Amino acid sequence: MSFSKFLIDLAFLLDNSPRYKKIKLFFWNLLNNDDYKYKKYFDIFMIFLIISSVIILIEEVTTPISKILYYYDVYVVTGVFLVEYILRFWVYNDIHKIILDEYEESLFLDKKFDTKKVIKQIVKSKLEYIFSPLAIIDLLAILPSYRELRILRVFILFRVFKLLRYSHNLTHFFQVIATKKIELYTLFMLMAFVILVSGISLYVFEDRINPNINSLFDAFYWALVTISTVGFGDITPVTHEGRSITMIIILIGVGMISFATSIIVSAFSEQLEQVRNNRVRHTIRKLTDFYIICGYTNMAQLFIKRLEAEKQPFIVIDQDKKIVESLLLEGKLAVAEDATKKSAFKNIDFDKVKAVLLLTNSDMHNIYIALNVRSFSKKVYLLSRTIDNNSYKKLKLAGVDEVISPYLTSGYFASLILEQPIALQAINDILTARKNALCDQIEVTEGSFLENKPIRDIEVNRFKILILGVVRFHPEKKIKYLQSEFIFNPQEDFVLRANDVLVIMGYSISISSFKSYIIESSLKHV
Amino acid sequence: MSEKQEKILLFGYGRYGEQITQSLLSGGYEVYVVDESKEALKRASIHNIENIFLIDIDDDEKLTDLLFDYGFEKIFCAYDDEEKNIYLTITFKALFHNIQVFALCESKESERKLHLAGADRVIDTMEAAANRMFFLVEKPAVAEAFDHILLKDPNIIFKEIVVPKGSFLDGVNIKDINFSKEYDILVIGIVDKELGDHFTFVTRGINHKIDAEDILVVIGKRENIERFEHTLEESKV
Repeated sequence: MSFSKFLIDLAFLLDNSPRYKKIKLFFWNLLNNDDYKYKKYFDIFMIFLIISSVIILIEEVTTPISKILYYYDVYVVTGVFLVEYILRFWVYNDIHKIILDEYEESLFLDKKFDTKKVIKQIVKSKLEYIFSPLAIIDLLAILPSYRELRILRVFILFRVFKLLRYSHNLTHFFQVIATKKIELYTLFMLMAFVILVSGISLYVFEDRINPNINSLFDAFYWALVTISTVGFGDITPVTHEGRSITMIIILIGVGMISFATSIIVSAFSEQLEQVRNNRVRHTIRKLTDFYIICGYTNMAQLFIKRLEAEKQPFIVIDQDKKIVESLLLEGKLAVAEDATKKSAFKNIDFDKVKAVLLLTNSDMHNIYIALNVRSFSKKVYLLSRTIDNNSYKKLKLAGVDEVISPYLTSGYFASLILEQPIALQAINDILTARKNALCDQIEVTEGSFLENKPIRDIEVNRFKILILGVVRFHPEKKIKYLQSEFIFNPQEDFVLRANDVLVIMGYSISISSFKSYIIESSLKHV
Repeated sequence: MSEKQEKILLFGYGRYGEQITQSLLSGGYEVYVVDESKEALKRASIHNIENIFLIDIDDDEKLTDLLFDYGFEKIFCAYDDEEKNIYLTITFKALFHNIQVFALCESKESERKLHLAGADRVIDTMEAAANRMFFLVEKPAVAEAFDHILLKDPNIIFKEIVVPKGSFLDGVNIKDINFSKEYDILVIGIVDKELGDHFTFVTRGINHKIDAEDILVVIGKRENIERFEHTLEESKV
C-alpha cells in the first residue's frame, strides 16, 4: 500500500468516525469554547495549577521543597501542561480534511494525488499554531520543570503569562491594546531612536570624564531611565553637554509618556463599547429563564420595575446607545442593537428565554421585530404592545401570542372608574402591588399536600389570605378558549386537583408564609 | 345599571377617547364628545356618536355654556396628549368647584400633576397595561382570574356597598361574619370612616368594627351581591 493511499484511507476513516469527531469536539469545546458549560471548571483548574506551581518555584529559590511538592510540580503540573499543549495542537485544525480536499480535487481534475503538497499544507497549518504567541507561551511554560538548567527558571514568567488564556479581563486588555499597534510601534521606534542618539551622545561627551559611565550600555541605561522620567540618579551627567542632552530628553520623555498614556486611554475609550458589549453578551449567555425587552419605553420601565421586584432576570435591547449606556450604569443588562436585524438575536439561545416583549412605540417596528424573532424561534412566547387597533391582526399574523393595548385597557377601566372608584383603586393597588397587597398563584402539583384537599382544609384565616378562585385546566378540550376555566370563590367542599392553580390575595408577608407552609406540608406529606 | 343614562362629557376623541367612548356607551352612558380637531369628530360621527362638539379647550366661555346647557356633573379628560388633560382639569376645577373630573395619563409625573390640578380620579394607562403584561407572563393564573372577573364574565362584579344605618352590619366586627360562606361574596376591603377615607384590605388582618356609612368593597356574582344588599336594606331597624 502506497503512503498516499494510506493517508487517504486514514482520512476517510477519521471523517467517517462519529466517535472521533465527538471526542475532538469535546476537547475543542473544553479548550476554546467560552460558552461550553465545563470550560469554566477547566479554566479554574488550570489557574489553580499555574498559581500553585509558581508559588512552588518561588519557594524553591530560597528553601528546598518537600518531595511531594517537587513531584507535583514536575510530573502533575508539567504533565497537564504538556497534555494541554498536545491537545491544543491537535484540535487547532483537521488534518484529514486537508487530505480529503486534495483527494477530491485530484479526482475532479483527474490528476495524481499530490502527497508532498498535502504534507506541506499540514506542516504549515500546524506551524501556524506552534508559532502563535499563546502557543509559544504554553511551550515555554513547560520548561521551568527542567530543574537541571537553572536558567530555565526564568520561564516561570511564562507560567504567569499563561494565565492570559484563562482570564477574560486580561485577554480583553491585550485585545484593546492591540488595536493601537501602529501608534504604539511608532512611539516605540521614536523612543528607541531618541535613546540611541542621546545614549551615544552622552557616551561621546562623558566617557572617561564621568566615573559612572564605563560603556555604551551604561549610557543607554541612563538614557532609558531619564526618558522614562524615572531618574534613579545612579548615573548623572557631569559635563555641560551631558546636562544639556539630559534637559532635552527629559522634555521629550514627558511628551512621550503623555503620548503613550493618550494612546492607551483612547484605545480604551474607542473599544469600551465593544468590550462592554462583549461582557454583556457573555453575561447573557449565562442567563436562564429570562425576558427580552425590545424598546426601553415608558411601559418597559414600568414592566422592568415589576420584574426587578420579583428578581426576574431580563435584558433590554434598544437602538439608542445613550439609553443603553445609562441602563448599564444602573447595573441592568442592555444591548445597543436594532431588534429588527438578525445580529440582535444571533447569540441568544431562545430555549432559555421566558418571553420576548415588543414595547417600542411603533407598531411597524414591533411587527418587524416579531418576524425577526420568529425566524429564530417558533416557540418563544411573544407579547407586543400596540398603538393602533388596526395593527392587532398584523401583529398576530407576525406571530405575536398576546397583544396589549393601553387604549383598550383604559377602556376596560372607564366604566368602573365612574361607578366604583374605590373598587378600581383596590384592583389597581393589588395589580401594582402597592400597600403590600398582592395577588399570587399557587400551583397544585401532583402528590403535593394540596392535591385532593377540600378548600375548608386550607387555613386561609390563619394566614390572613383570601382565595379569589381556582384556575382549572382541561387540556382534553379542543378549543383553546375552553382549555382553562376560572372558578370564582370556590365553596368549602370544593376539592383541588393536580394542575389546578389557586389564585390568592393577601399581604406579601401572608402570601410568603402561606407558600412556605404549603411547601413544608407537601414535604411532610411525601 | 338602573341609574345609568347618566351624561358624561368626554374630551378628546383620539386613541384613548375612542376606546373609552365605546366602553361608556356599552355601559349605558350618554356620551357627549368634545374635540378641537374636525378629523377626530368626523371619526366620531362615523362611529355613530350623536353628540359631538367642536370646541377649543382654551375657550372658557364655550365650555361654560356647554356645561350649563346640558348640566354635566362628570367630565372625562381622555386626550392622548397628557398636557391637554392637565390643562382641562385645571380649567374645570377653576370654573366649577363641584364638577367631578376623571382623567387619563401615561406617567407617574402626569398623575401627580393631575392630582395637584384637582382631578378626582386618574387612570395611569401605561401602568395598568404594564401590570397586565407582567401578570400575563409571570402569573398567568392571576391574569386569567382578573380577565374573567373584569372582562369575560359580566355576572361577576366589583361593588362598593355603603353600610346603611341600623342594618345588621352596623356595629359588627368584620371577622364575625363569614361573607364567603353565608352570602357567597368576597369582601376585599373596607373604607372605615372612623379611621379616615383610606381603603384597607381585609387581608391586613385588622378586625374592623363596621359602622354606618363605612364602605365595603365586595366582589361576587351579581345576584349574590344584590341579594346581600337587599338583606342589608331589609335588616335596617
